[in-house]
Amino acid sequence: MSRRRGAAGRSLVCAIGLLSLAFSGLPQDANHGAASAFETALPGYRYEFPRDYFNHQGYQTEWWYYTGNVTAKDGHRFGFELTFFRQGVERDPAKDKTWDVQDIYLAHLALSDLDGGKFYHTERLNRRGPGIAGASQSLQRVWNGNWKVQWSGDDEQLQAIDAQFALLLNLHPEKPPVIQGENGVSQKAAGDGHASHYISLTRLATTGELNLHGKKYEVTGLAWMDHEFFTTQLDAAQFGWDWLSIQLADHTELMLYHFRRKDGAIDPFSAGTYIDAQGRTTHLRSTDFTLQPSGETWRSPETAAVYPVAWQISIPQLALTLEANTPLPSQELTGQSKLAPSYWEGAITLAGQRGGKQISGVGYLELTGYDHPVQLP
Amino acid sequence: MSILSLQSVTKEYVGDGQPVRALDGVTLEVNAGEFVALVGRSGCGKSTLLNLAGAMDFPTSGAVLLDGVATSTLDDARLTVLRREKVGFIFQSFQLLHTLTVFENVELPLLLAGKSGARAAAENRLATVELTGLGDRLPHQLSGGQMQRVAIARALIHSPAVLLADEPTGNLDSTTSAVILQLLQRLTREKNTATIMATHSLEAAALADAVVRLRDGKVEEIIRR
Amino acid sequence: MPRFLLFYRLLVRPLLREPLRTALTVLAIALGVAVVLAIELAGGAATGSFRSSMETLAGDNDLEVVAAGGVPESVVGTLDQLPFPLRVVPRMEDYAVVTESKQTLPLIGLDLLAEGAAYTGPQALATLRGNKNDDPQKGLRDLADPLSVYVGASLKRKVGDPLPLLINDQLKTYTVRGVYPDGGGNESAIVMDLAAAQRALNRFARVDRVLIKLPGREQLPQWQARLRAALPAGLEVRPQGTGTTENRRMLQAFRWNLRLLSYISLVVGAFLIYNTISVSVVRRRGEIGIVRALGASRASVLAAFIGEAATFGFIGALLGLPFGRVMASGAVKLMAITVEALYVSSRPGSIALSLSSVVLAFAIGVGVSIISAYAPAREAAQVSPVEAMARGRREYDVRVHKGRDLLIAVLLAVAAEVASYAPPVAGKPLFGYLAAFLLIASSAFAIPAFVDGVSRISAGALQRTLGVEALLASRSLRASLRRTSVLVGALSTAIAMMTSVGIMVGSFRQTVLLWMGDQLPADLYLRPAGDPAADRHPTISPDLAAAIAHLPGVAAIDRLRAYEITYDGLPATLASSDLQILRAYKNSDFFSGRPTEQVLHDLRGANAVVVSEPFTYKHHVRIGDRLQLSLGETQASFRIVDIYYDYSSERGNIIMDRNTMLKYLPDETPSNLAVYVAPGASVDAVRAEIVQAAAGRRILIFSNRNLRGEAIRIFDRTFAITYALEAVAIVVAVMGVAGALLALVIDRRRELGLLRFLGSSKQQIRKLILVEAALLGLLANVAGVLLGFAMSLVLIFVINKQSFGWTIRFHWPVAISLGALTGVYLATVVAGLYPAQVAVRLNPLEVVHDE
Repeated sequence: MSRRRGAAGRSLVCAIGLLSLAFSGLPQDANHGAASAFETALPGYRYEFPRDYFNHQGYQTEWWYYTGNVTAKDGHRFGFELTFFRQGVERDPAKDKTWDVQDIYLAHLALSDLDGGKFYHTERLNRRGPGIAGASQSLQRVWNGNWKVQWSGDDEQLQAIDAQFALLLNLHPEKPPVIQGENGVSQKAAGDGHASHYISLTRLATTGELNLHGKKYEVTGLAWMDHEFFTTQLDAAQFGWDWLSIQLADHTELMLYHFRRKDGAIDPFSAGTYIDAQGRTTHLRSTDFTLQPSGETWRSPETAAVYPVAWQISIPQLALTLEANTPLPSQELTGQSKLAPSYWEGAITLAGQRGGKQISGVGYLELTGYDHPVQLP
Repeated sequence: MSILSLQSVTKEYVGDGQPVRALDGVTLEVNAGEFVALVGRSGCGKSTLLNLAGAMDFPTSGAVLLDGVATSTLDDARLTVLRREKVGFIFQSFQLLHTLTVFENVELPLLLAGKSGARAAAENRLATVELTGLGDRLPHQLSGGQMQRVAIARALIHSPAVLLADEPTGNLDSTTSAVILQLLQRLTREKNTATIMATHSLEAAALADAVVRLRDGKVEEIIRR
Repeated sequence: MPRFLLFYRLLVRPLLREPLRTALTVLAIALGVAVVLAIELAGGAATGSFRSSMETLAGDNDLEVVAAGGVPESVVGTLDQLPFPLRVVPRMEDYAVVTESKQTLPLIGLDLLAEGAAYTGPQALATLRGNKNDDPQKGLRDLADPLSVYVGASLKRKVGDPLPLLINDQLKTYTVRGVYPDGGGNESAIVMDLAAAQRALNRFARVDRVLIKLPGREQLPQWQARLRAALPAGLEVRPQGTGTTENRRMLQAFRWNLRLLSYISLVVGAFLIYNTISVSVVRRRGEIGIVRALGASRASVLAAFIGEAATFGFIGALLGLPFGRVMASGAVKLMAITVEALYVSSRPGSIALSLSSVVLAFAIGVGVSIISAYAPAREAAQVSPVEAMARGRREYDVRVHKGRDLLIAVLLAVAAEVASYAPPVAGKPLFGYLAAFLLIASSAFAIPAFVDGVSRISAGALQRTLGVEALLASRSLRASLRRTSVLVGALSTAIAMMTSVGIMVGSFRQTVLLWMGDQLPADLYLRPAGDPAADRHPTISPDLAAAIAHLPGVAAIDRLRAYEITYDGLPATLASSDLQILRAYKNSDFFSGRPTEQVLHDLRGANAVVVSEPFTYKHHVRIGDRLQLSLGETQASFRIVDIYYDYSSERGNIIMDRNTMLKYLPDETPSNLAVYVAPGASVDAVRAEIVQAAAGRRILIFSNRNLRGEAIRIFDRTFAITYALEAVAIVVAVMGVAGALLALVIDRRRELGLLRFLGSSKQQIRKLILVEAALLGLLANVAGVLLGFAMSLVLIFVINKQSFGWTIRFHWPVAISLGALTGVYLATVVAGLYPAQVAVRLNPLEVVHDE
C-alpha cells in the first residue's frame, strides 16, 4: 500500500453534476453555518458492513455507482451504468414534512449497445418524498423511483426501467469490499476533510437480463460498484480528470485516475489502487503510474467536446502495460436538463502485457472537463 | 249673404320642384239651397277648389269664407271644428270604412265631433236616403248606389251648411247615377245646404242650379239657371 | 336578369321606399340572430370548451388517480417504484384568491424538482424554474421557501414581486419566483412546490391528484386495471381529465337550456318576418295579379317572396354577427357567474367567432326567414291573374279560419299536456320543451279567435270609455285579423316567456326562501373569505374552530366539512355535519316525512347518508338504496336513509355524520362553522368575540339574516342571464310592434285621411293609433300571461324537475310580474308613438281623392 492518500474521480463527477444542477451549493453558500451540519470525511473512520453499503445522512454527498460489461448468449456485448446520488440540502429540523427537500436524489442510467453501436442514457432528479427515492438499510435498498438496488445477503439486484430499455441484473461479489485510500479516507486535495470515505466492490459476477426496444437479452459479465460519502470542497485548479476501472482476466483489478490542472500538469493527488486475485490492495501514487492518451479521439456532435477515448497505461512496479480502447466512442452523457455538464463514461476493453505475458480485460473509462473546464465553487 | 264665398282665390302647389298653379283668381259665391256643378277636364282644379271650400286647405292668396269665416285666419284645430260643423264630403269611391257598419259609418262625423244622439240622427239620415233597415249591414254587403247613399247620409249627419261632392256618380251606372243626383238635388233643397258637385257628367251638370266651368285653374264661365 | 329585375321592381324597390319599416324588420331578425349567436358563442366560451381550471399545467398524461378527500401520499412512492416506465405527477389542487384583484385562481402544487428534471414537459413547466443563466443556487433556495409562488404571465407580475394571497382563511404575502407563459390550455394559476402548497393549505399526507403518463396510449383499460390492482381499494384510476369530461357533461344540460331560451327571440323574430311578408303580399296582390297576367309563373312569384324574406334574413344575419359578438361578451360574464354558482369553478375561454358560428348565424337568419315567409309567399303564388282587374278589393285579406284554428289550438294544447307527462330523454327534458313549444303553437292558433272575440266583446265598452277612436281601433284590429294575430302572437310569446320564466324564478326564489328558513337554524355562519363556488370548499383552521367553540356565549358549533367527489361519473359534494348538534337545533324536511330526530338517529355514527333531491334524480336512487363511496383509500357502502330538499346547488349532495366521515377521512378541518349562541347571550356580542378570536384570519361571519341575504343575492345573480334573454325577446317584439303599426298606418293612410275629411282632428288620429298600439299590447299581455302561466307550469314541474331535480312550489311573484307587464305594455304604447306621428303627418288631400 502506498502512503499517498487516494482521491476519487467519481466524487467529482457527481459533485460537479449536482452543483451545476444548481442545488449542491446551497448549504455552503447560503448558509455558511449550516455546512457544519454535515460531517467531513476524516481519517480513522471505522467501516461496518452491511451498514456502510447504505445511507450516511450526516454527510452531504453520497453515491452508489454501478458500471459493468456484459455479454448476451449470442455474444452481443453491452455496457451499463446506473448511478444513485444523494446530495444533502438542508438539515432544518422544522422542515420535517414529506415533501420538504432535505436531500435531492439524482440518478443516471446508461446503456451502451457496444455491438449495435448505440448509446442510451437518461437521468432522474427527485426528493425523498413519500418513498420516491432513498437509501435504507432496513429496506436493504437504494432507489430512485423504479431504478433500484435491492440487497439480499451479499448479492445485489439491479433494476432500472426506462421507456427504451430496462435492466434486471443480479450482482454477486467475488471479493470483499475494498476501502479505497489510506486510513479510511480517500484524499482529494490538500487539507483536512477534503476527502471521502470510499468503498468499492471491484468484481461483481453479473447475470440477468436486459431489454432493449422490447428485445430481451440474457446476459452475463462483470460489474463494479463504488460507494462514496463525504462533505467537501475541491481544489480550484483541478479542472478535469480521467478515471478508469479495470477488471483483468487474471482476476485482478485496477482503479486509476488523474486530475488535469490548469497549468497542464498532473495533480499530485492523482492516484490508484491495485487489487490482487486474493483481494489485497495496493495504493498507487501519482508517481507510481503513467496514464496517457494514445491518440484516438471522438468529437461529440452535441457538445463539440473532443474526448481522448484510447489510453496507454504503464505501472512499472507491477510490470504492467495496458492499452485501453473502446468499442463505442459515443458514450457521452449530456445533461437532459441542459444544466449538468457533459462527461464521457463508457465501456472499454483492455489488452497488454504483464511480465511479458499477454493479458486482457474489460473496464470503464470516465472523462470530464472536456466540453468546458469544470467550475468549482 | 252667400254661405260659401271664394274671393280671388289662388292656390299653388309645389310639384316636382316646380310651382303648379292649381287655382288662379277664382271668385265664386254659393248660397244656401243652391246646387252648383263644377265641370272641367281632369286636373283643371276641381278637387283643389273642393278642398279649399271644405276647409281642408288654405288658399295661397285670396280668401275662402265659410259662413262668413275666413279659413286662413284659423289654426288646424279651429279648422277641424269648422269642418265638423259646416262641411260634409262625398267621394267618387264612397270612402266608407269597411270595418264599420252602416250606422257606424254614418254616425262617424258626430262621434268624431263628440256629439250625442248620433244613432237617432243616423236613423233619420238613413231614412232620408231611403236606406232604413240597412243600418247594421257592413259596407261590402251593399250595392254601389247604396254605398253612395250611405256616404251621403254620413255627409249630412251633422246638417252641414256646405255639401261637397267629388264625382259622386263616377263609380256608378247611369240608372243609379240618376237616382243619386236626384237625391242630392232634393236634399239640397230640403236641408238648405250649399252643394258643390265636381263632375264630368253633363247629365249631372244639367240638374244643377249653376254650372261653373273651370279651365287651367280659372273660372271659364258660370252658367246660372 | 329579367327575373332579377322583376324581383327588384316588385319587392326591393317598395322596401326601399319604406326604409324605417324595412330597417325594423331587419333589426328584429338581426337581434334574434344576435341572441342565438351570443348564447352560442358565450356558451362555447363559458361551458363548451370547458376545461377544468385544474387541468392547468397538467400536461398530456394518460391516467389520473383520485380519491374523495385526497390520495394518500404513499401512493406516489408506490406508483414511482412500479416496474413500468411511467411518469408519475402528484399534484395539490385548490384555490387562492389574489386579494388585490379579488380574482380566484387555481392553486397548484407540483413537484417542481422532479418536474423540472424528469421531463421538459409542457414548455410552461420548463420555464418555471428559471433558465440556466440564473444564479444556480437561487433555484433551490426559492423552491425551499414556503412563500415562493410561480405565476402565469397574464397575471402581469415580475419575478421578485410580492403577491398577497388568501388561501383558505389565511392571508399571506408570497413572492413571485417565476413566471410561465399561460394560454394554450394553461390558464393563469398560482403554482407552488408541493411542500409549500401543503403548508399553505395546511393539508399534509395527501395529494389531490396523481397524473400518470403511460409508455403508450393503447391498452388504456389494461393499464387502468394493472394500476388499480397495485393501489388501495378506495382510489379511482381513470383517464386524465375525466373530471373535465364529467363537468362538461353536467354543463351540457345547462347550455342546452340556455340555448333553447335564446331561440325564443328567434321565434318572435319569425312571427315578425311572417307578418312583414304577409303585409308585402297583401299590399301587392294587385301587382302580383298584373305580373301573373303578364306571364309570371306561380313558382317565380313564390321565389320572389321567398327571396324577399331571404334578403331580410341575410341582411339581418349580417348585422346580427357583430351584434352577437358584442352581446356574447356580456353574456359570457353572466353565464360564467351561473356556472360558478351552480356547477363548477371555471374561467370562460375566449370568444371565438369561428366559421361555423358565422354559418350558423346565416343559416338561422336566412332559414328562419324563409320558413316563416313560406306561408304568405305561397299565398302570393296562389293569386290569380284575374285579381289584377278586381277593384275595390279589401286591403287585407281576412281569410282566417277562426273555427278551424281554434280546433287545432285545442288539439295542440292537449298534445302539450300529454307531452308534459313524458319522462326525460337521456337526462334532457325533451318532451318538456316539446310541451312548451306546443303551447306556443297552440296559442298562435288560438289567438285569431281570441283577438276576434275580445275585440268584438269589448268594442262597445271601449267606445264608451275611450271614444270613437277606440271603436275605430278595435274594428281595425279585428278587420285585419291575421296581421293583428301575428303581432299579438309575437308579442305574447315574448311576454309568455317573460312571465313563465318570471314565475319559475319567482317560485324558485320563494321556495329557496322558505327552505332556508328550515335549513339555517344557527345564529352565525362562518366561512373563509373569497368567492364561493359550487365545487370549492376552502377551510377554516381547526384551532380557530376550537377557539370559537370555547367562547363564552357559544352554546355549540357545528363543523361542516365538504369534499368534492365523483359519484357514478358525475361530480357531487360529500359533506358531513355534527349530528349531535344538529339534532338539538335542526328542523328539516325529509322526503319520508319522518321527524328529523329519527332521520338523524339513523345517521349517527353509522354508514348511512342522506342525499339531496337533485342527487336522486341524477343517479336514480331511492331511500334504502346503498351508495358505494370511495373515501380516501377505502371503499365503503352507505345506506340512504332519507332524501332532503336542497336548492343550494344543482350538483348532488351526500351528507353523513361527522364522526362517520372522520373515520374514513381523519381531517378535522371544517369548511364552514355554524355557531349556536347560548340562550340569553347576545348574538352581536358573540360575533364580536369571534371577530377578535379570528384576528389575522380571513373569514366571513354571516348572521342568520345576512346569510339568507347573501344566498338570495347569489341566486339572483345566477338568473341574470335569463333576464337578459327575456329582455332581448321583448325588445324584438316591441320593435316588431312598432314596425307593424307603421305598416298599418301606411296601409290605412286613405282611411286616416278620410277621417280628417270627416272632421277628426290630428289629436284624434294620434289617439287612434296609440289606442290601437295599446289594444295590441293589451291583447298580447292577456294572451301572453295566459300562455306564460301554462308554460310556467311546464317549466317548474317538467323542465326544471327533469333537468335539475328540484321540487319547486308554485308561486306567482305578483308585484314583479305586474311591474314587468306594465313595462312591456308601456313599451308597446311608446312603440306606437312614431307610427302615430307618421299618421298625423299624412296629407289627407293626397290620399283621398281619386285623381
